[in-house]
Amino acid sequence: MNKKWLELSVGLMMVAGVAALVALALQVSGGNMSRNAQSYAISALFENAAGLGPKAKVTMAGVTVGEVVSVVIDPNALMAKVNMEIYGQVDYLSIDSSASILTAGLLGEKYVGLTVGAEEEVLVDGDVIEDTQSALVLEELIGQFLLNFGDNK
Amino acid sequence: MIGLIADLGSGFLGKLVRIGQAWLMLMQAIIVQPKASSLSRLIQQLYVVGVQSLIIILVSALFIGMVLGLQGYTLLAAYGTEQAVGQMVALTLVRELSPVVAALLFAGRAGSALTAEIGLMKATEQLASLEMFGVDPLHRIVAPRFWAGIISLPLLVAIFSLVGIYGGHLVAVDWLGVYSGSYWGNMQQAVDFNGDVLNGMVKALVFAFLISWTAVYQGYTCVPTSQGISAATTRTVVYSSLAILGFDFILTALMFGGTV
Amino acid sequence: MATDDIINIQNVSFYRGDRAIFKNLNCVISAGKITAIMGPSGSGKTTLLRLISGQLQPHEGQIRLFGQDIAALNRKQLTQIRTRMGVLFQSGALFTDLSVFENVAFPLREHLHLSVDELYNKVLLKLEAVGLRGARDLMPSQLSGGMARRVALARAVAMEPELILYDEPFAGQDPIAMAVLQRLIKDLNCAMHLTSVLVSHDIAEACAIADQVILLGEGRVLVQGTPAALQASNDPAVKQFIHGEADGVIPFHFFAPPLQQELRGKSE
Repeated sequence: MNKKWLELSVGLMMVAGVAALVALALQVSGGNMSRNAQSYAISALFENAAGLGPKAKVTMAGVTVGEVVSVVIDPNALMAKVNMEIYGQVDYLSIDSSASILTAGLLGEKYVGLTVGAEEEVLVDGDVIEDTQSALVLEELIGQFLLNFGDNK
Repeated sequence: MIGLIADLGSGFLGKLVRIGQAWLMLMQAIIVQPKASSLSRLIQQLYVVGVQSLIIILVSALFIGMVLGLQGYTLLAAYGTEQAVGQMVALTLVRELSPVVAALLFAGRAGSALTAEIGLMKATEQLASLEMFGVDPLHRIVAPRFWAGIISLPLLVAIFSLVGIYGGHLVAVDWLGVYSGSYWGNMQQAVDFNGDVLNGMVKALVFAFLISWTAVYQGYTCVPTSQGISAATTRTVVYSSLAILGFDFILTALMFGGTV
Repeated sequence: MATDDIINIQNVSFYRGDRAIFKNLNCVISAGKITAIMGPSGSGKTTLLRLISGQLQPHEGQIRLFGQDIAALNRKQLTQIRTRMGVLFQSGALFTDLSVFENVAFPLREHLHLSVDELYNKVLLKLEAVGLRGARDLMPSQLSGGMARRVALARAVAMEPELILYDEPFAGQDPIAMAVLQRLIKDLNCAMHLTSVLVSHDIAEACAIADQVILLGEGRVLVQGTPAALQASNDPAVKQFIHGEADGVIPFHFFAPPLQQELRGKSE
């Protein structure tokens, strides 16, 4: 009798523990697993990648399709090279796609936005996006604005 | 001066020797073919170590989740981003607080009890008596307790995280009026199962190993007197708590350090 | 070597730190008898028992048990030889998480493959022998000290050993429990053709049942003989121990420099 209760309670604890883990997977992380296994790498060269870092989102039409792996200097072009992982199932980015660095809200985090072009051929692992638009640097913007303001006067 | 440095060196070497001994003891205890009766002993220990720790884990998790919900709400409301409270509660719990707090509680609740029990068995000659019956106390006494610790803590940590998140929900959503959809929605966007939940579980497993190992070693090698047992129990709690906090930093640096 | 000698201790030395507990200890314990090992506290009686049971290893010399050098045995052989002997620990050492019945059944379950009924009967007979058949479902925490020791005795003889070692069986027992234990030790020794070795400092009780007495002191055997011979001995240390004199060859004072040197506040 006593032994039964003991075994039952241990069993219940195990079930509760595993159920909690499953709940964490479904309810808390929303089945949100990183899909590193089936993804491919592309990169893009930017004039300025200020504020962009690893793990930043890569989006297309507002939907996350990958993430930034690293941001380095390309020694030949002397530009910022942003390496990205794109989820495997997103296999329809044409080779003339463009990338721009955007900001979520006024002070939010930086992310990469992709816009698909018209070509038939698609980007594959290791390809580089040529058509880019750099990060908006607030200080430069204000500086330009002040300059223009001064000129107009 | 040279004597002082020599003392330091010999003290350090002594510690290394003890760690080596503890490692050998552990290997001797757990490298063994399990018998049919081992399972019932393991279940017995799972009850003592795991089920009996459930209450303290549940209560602490609920309160910690509630505090996180309250603090997070107050802090985030100042920037008008109180919807992000779910994400804050979940990430804090899953990555850090659940493994660390559950492990500290576990060391105090189960680790100390393990040490005291094994120490008392030594003091009352039960270990020697087992040996006289040709039964290795390392296999009979130490192994099931060690494995019970390893199995229990990760389960308790998973339960801790979930209960804590619901505790945060209770405060932030039910009492303070954050929209339930954004509580869960933001959380689901921010929490990654592999990166956050599983890494938390890896931490739990490492802590479980540290606590169980410390507890059985301290119990098995304690001086079999009342002072000896109480000193060993204290050492279990102190050493395993320090090990938990130290290893938590190392693991956090390894797992999340790359994320600027 | 005579097959009669169950335990043969040859030139054994044992140290704790720098202190020699035994120095060139020699003695022989022969089969079928009750041997009492006596001596003042700290003379290493319990240590000797641990050496005999292989829980400790001598630093020098050898101990032969059933004709085998126990230091040379591997784990399996040691386990084998240990099934031929039982040990009654000072505290009884019952497993606190098992009932009285399960405690006695423990060695049988470990080493023999008996059917449920055989096991039940065997355990019941052993408990009957110590008069505690009715207590089989109690837990060790519910037993008195004397009862716990009797259960431990039933457990120690469960495997029907050839040799049984008793560590201070009479310590801390009331006169009735002491008499019960005395009778049990004597009866079991006769009924099961055991060799019994008991360590004790209760002279009267031990002498009453022992066939042979070994008196330890100063790291060696002071005297070995029948209880009667011990009583008649003229050795001052033996006389001091037997008659319980506070001071004598074994000094009342722990070793210390002269008192005059140690007192303070007095200049030379």
